Amino acid sequence: MVHVRQVEDKTLTFIVSGKLWRNSLIMQDKETGSLWSHVTGMCMEGEYKGTQLEMIPVVQTTWAEWVADHPKTRVLKKSEEIKSAPYQRYFDDPEKNGLFSTVWAQDRLPGKSLIHGVMLGPHSLAVADAALADGTSVTGKLGDVEVKVTRNADGGVSAVRTDTGEELVVRTAYWFAWSTYFPKTAVID
Amino acid sequence: MTTATARRSAAAFGLIVLSAVLVVTAAVAERPEPEVYGTFDGDEMYTLLPPDGIPAIMDPEFVTGEEAAAQMSAEESVMGLATEGDAVCWSTWQLDHHEIVNDVFNGTAIAATW
Repeated sequence: MVHVRQVEDKTLTFIVSGKLWRNSLIMQDKETGSLWSHVTGMCMEGEYKGTQLEMIPVVQTTWAEWVADHPKTRVLKKSEEIKSAPYQRYFDDPEKNGLFSTVWAQDRLPGKSLIHGVMLGPHSLAVADAALADGTSVTGKLGDVEVKVTRNADGGVSAVRTDTGEELVVRTAYWFAWSTYFPKTAVID
Repeated sequence: MTTATARRSAAAFGLIVLSAVLVVTAAVAERPEPEVYGTFDGDEMYTLLPPDGIPAIMDPEFVTGEEAAAQMSAEESVMGLATEGDAVCWSTWQLDHHEIVNDVFNGTAIAATW
């Protein structure tokens, strides 16, 4: 996720609160100590309770694909040697679906299915990663609004409203996590 | 992007923090029980670590794509932003250890979170 860390005229600095909600990170701003969900961008507790951070669509892909598309990219410097994902076994284990039990619609997709989710108001749509081959798009509905979800050349996924052309934030997630947040989500698989 | 690649680069809604917690707590002799801190929207908030127990990045430093070749693997999962004048990416393998980067892109203060 990428959030704009500015509220009104104040720039916030986020630390890891050490707390979890719905199996995901709660951030804490150093300025007021308020708690924020990194998934929703919503302030859950503190001075900014109820405030929503603006989110910016972010591409998720591999280094090889990213640098091929953006040869002049800047890259976050590593101060330590990191040669693999430390939690690969967690990702690969279909039985491990979060630390705490959650209610999710197990019958619609396997819990570890990767999906690309979009939201508009109370409506949500999950597109299975497997449904998006390279260079293809699928079209679905968010309420009455048609949305087109596309696999881009850089391997990332983007979404636009077909009526206004507005780009929507895409959240890539496991199905079990998405369906915990959005139990009434529409699904394209 | 193959499905296998996609799986490797799974963004698991911050589930990484869970795994990080497991790794950290496994290192101490007695693993503390997660403590219920409160509820929000009907679901519990749990306390697993003290604030800053996983260090967010406050002053990110960057290298060029060429310099990064030595520190990155081809299949390494990254999150990236690009405009006409600038592009930046953060390795999510690296973010497993930090969760949050307090950054600035295109003049806007942003938090990249994982």
